Amino acid sequence: MVLSQRLHEAFKGAVERMTSPRTVSAFKEKGVLTPDEFVQAGDNLVSKCPTWSWEMGDPNKRKSYLPAEKQFLITRNVPCLRRACSIEEDYKAAGGEVLLDNDGDEGWLATHGFDRESKDEDEVVPSMDAQESSARPSRNFRPLVPQDDEDDDVLDMDDVGDDNLVEANDSLSQPDYLLAVEPEDDHILKTRTYDISITYDKYYQTPRLWLTGYGETRHLLQPELVLEDVSQDHAHKTVTIEDHPHMAGKHASIHPCRHGAVMKKIIDVLVSKGGNPEVDKYLFIFLKFVASVIPTIEYDYTMDFELGGQ
Amino acid sequence: MGITSPAGEDRHGGGEPAEPMPFKFVAWGGSADVSFWHRLADFKLDTQKLTEEPVNISGFFAPCNQPHAPSYLQLMMESLPPDPGVNDGPIEVPYNRNRLPVPGTLHNTNTVETYNALDKPALLRSAADKIWDDIKSGRAEEDCSLLSRFLVVSYADLKKWTFTYRFAFPGLRMSPQATAASCQPACDFFTKDEAAGVLAACTEWRALPSGASLTSFLLNITPDAKVKAQSLKEWHDAQHEGGKVILAFYDPSNLPANPGWPLRNLLALASVRWGVTRLQVLCYRENRSGLLDLEHSPVLDIILPETPEWKEPVGWELTARGGKGSKFVDLGQSMDPVKLAESAA
Repeated sequence: MVLSQRLHEAFKGAVERMTSPRTVSAFKEKGVLTPDEFVQAGDNLVSKCPTWSWEMGDPNKRKSYLPAEKQFLITRNVPCLRRACSIEEDYKAAGGEVLLDNDGDEGWLATHGFDRESKDEDEVVPSMDAQESSARPSRNFRPLVPQDDEDDDVLDMDDVGDDNLVEANDSLSQPDYLLAVEPEDDHILKTRTYDISITYDKYYQTPRLWLTGYGETRHLLQPELVLEDVSQDHAHKTVTIEDHPHMAGKHASIHPCRHGAVMKKIIDVLVSKGGNPEVDKYLFIFLKFVASVIPTIEYDYTMDFELGGQ
Repeated sequence: MGITSPAGEDRHGGGEPAEPMPFKFVAWGGSADVSFWHRLADFKLDTQKLTEEPVNISGFFAPCNQPHAPSYLQLMMESLPPDPGVNDGPIEVPYNRNRLPVPGTLHNTNTVETYNALDKPALLRSAADKIWDDIKSGRAEEDCSLLSRFLVVSYADLKKWTFTYRFAFPGLRMSPQATAASCQPACDFFTKDEAAGVLAACTEWRALPSGASLTSFLLNITPDAKVKAQSLKEWHDAQHEGGKVILAFYDPSNLPANPGWPLRNLLALASVRWGVTRLQVLCYRENRSGLLDLEHSPVLDIILPETPEWKEPVGWELTARGGKGSKFVDLGQSMDPVKLAESAA
């Protein structure tokens, strides 16, 4: 984290501790929300898009100005079929296929590609050295599909037989279950999934969006890798890695400093077209504009809006 | 591997199809978020200390709600018992349709050696035995989440903030295997009237606040296409009502012709408790509006052996390539106080 960012976080934290939360609605004037309005807008999101739900979060981090059972919103296991950065690079390369098999994909967490390379024979605790092996298979991304060719992809009976892992149909050739395997062929992107959460930022008085990424077998992704799924105009600038206000650990977040102003602009457009945006629609509008920052993450904001000049 | 309906002329699979096909269950995957590992670290230091006694935990899941990825069994902070140090009174946790709890057991060891020495087949067998007991006693019909009982073994190195772990989802194996006479999307299997009734009944069932323990249920369809959802323990009564009874379960799988793991033990229950050899099963999956997705939820017409033999259970999670192996997570960057201090300097 750069120094200026740390200083700002410290300042912001101090202000948040000393000031009381906004109580007067300024939704139309400034594009901001009171905590009560955040809850109202969140209730509406949860009821219209049931993949979202309220969470209590860590009791030690509970914010008193929000109801205990409605501290923040989350939707889990949201698919992201391809990397936002690859879309942009694809475009730059004028059709050249961009593969994402750089080492950065692997860092921090041991992954299954690594498992295959070095651990199938006997089960041991992996070492960090092995993780850095350059012999890893290239790991691209594609949706999980059933494989017709089971010999390679489902199970190797010799490896697993002694652990009673395998249904064998007595012939030792037909396990009766299937793994969502990672196919070998390149060029097709593999699904990552995201947990997306929305917290209330007391300092900016707006919602704030957080991203927790998982690889194709749902292992945690290093937060920096999440930046591959952020529009490259925003990566490292508006999207930063910070402590989550209600959960443990560092997560990627869209910095909320411009949220109020952007929301105000959208609301003005709606009003100028004769609309009358209600505060309970705030999060739908918010999620719609956030989609420009994370264009490939397919979360839900299904309520249809005419946003004029969008 | 796709299973197709034999020409679809017999909509409800009443007649014998030419050749029943074996089908495969999709192995379930486990996932743990950062807050689970933080909570485990605290729990180990403050509560569990040096003991390696197994701990009851909860995993959470929801039916698959999109075609691109299966739904996982998720461990979160709330999977472990709450911190007794937080004393702000009990808070009523509202029913959350996106996290249905499943009971599990965590075996957390103090050293790598004890972790590697764990007798995994024995642990799996004993968890499977509990599932057997719950089936035979009828408890599983009261609370079908017991059928999805799971295991986690882990070694937490709190000096380095690394965690090594592996999930197991005990699955009962019958021999010969169950086969499917047909597998069709629900929208093809049901008549239009039935589909409307099934949709309404499922929607109502899914909204039940007690839904957490009701991850499997019966759909009772009368000849005039009226549909009601009922709990598993009403199976025998439902048979006498003259309608058609379909078993439904919340399915984590996203694949068009493969049911998810929970069906495996459910079929064991159907065979042992109900003595059935033919059973139609709706794999309940949702669209993004939280409603039954008739196009992506398959209905399987399943044939069970009359007197199955029961084999050793299966279920240790395999790697993506089908090998054995633990998962490993290094949270040193975000949890280690020393590293945090360094990065702050």
